Amino acid sequence: MIQNYLILSVILFSLGILGVISRRNVFTVFMSIELMLNAANLSFIAFSRLHESMDGQVLALLVMAVAAAEAALALAVVILLHKHKGKLDTNVFSLLKG
Amino acid sequence: MSAEWLFYVFSVLSVLGASGLVLFRHPMSGAMSLIVTMISLAGLYALLSAKLIFVLQLIVYAGAIMSLILFIIMFLNIQTIDLPEEKGRFYYLVGGIILISPIASFLIKVVKSLPGSEATIVGSGFGGVKEVGLVLFQDWLLPFEIVSLLLLVSLVGAVVLAGKRRLNK
Repeated sequence: MIQNYLILSVILFSLGILGVISRRNVFTVFMSIELMLNAANLSFIAFSRLHESMDGQVLALLVMAVAAAEAALALAVVILLHKHKGKLDTNVFSLLKG
Repeated sequence: MSAEWLFYVFSVLSVLGASGLVLFRHPMSGAMSLIVTMISLAGLYALLSAKLIFVLQLIVYAGAIMSLILFIIMFLNIQTIDLPEEKGRFYYLVGGIILISPIASFLIKVVKSLPGSEATIVGSGFGGVKEVGLVLFQDWLLPFEIVSLLLLVSLVGAVVLAGKRRLNK
């Protein structure tokens, strides 16, 4: 029973990694990262149900807060870069490269 | 048993939404399919009897974060011309599947070998606000405070980054 949830979490995490490495649209890459965080949350909650302790759910709560902070900052950076470059391609956003 | 059926329905919906996010070209369609994934994950949390996380997944993820993303996508007014042309994305996808599938199959094998519990019955207070709050404010107080600092820093950072006026334009 719990194994099925964990297998689903593995599948969702792999789909998130596939989205990050195969797409170049910056929004899609960002949403794939959100998908990976969600998959981690699902496995946290499945383990908390398996061990019948609340710690996994508290960790999932903290992951949600981190995801909210990340969303605010990442979207601000996307707006700034779109204002500078006028594009949404992740290959254009290589400003930090030496 | 209806919980099994609900699990299969929600998991198929979430996998379909995630693959839609990877495959759709326009980010608006991708965001819509990611919302499907978020809502079906909320249903899975309800099946795992995590009531507080179920509500927070609906409010924070499917409500706040996804509407923020949709708002920014609409704010930038992205047309089909503005999208980056992703010619080699199917090659990258196939290469990624070749790269990921051994790791994923290994993880699935590991997960299958876990000692599973066959649907033990938890108490009625499991996952409620009171129980999660007690653990959060007793054992996890320091991480909670650090997360509040992180939220403050990201708030200030977002205002500084996105709210900059360019006077010399």
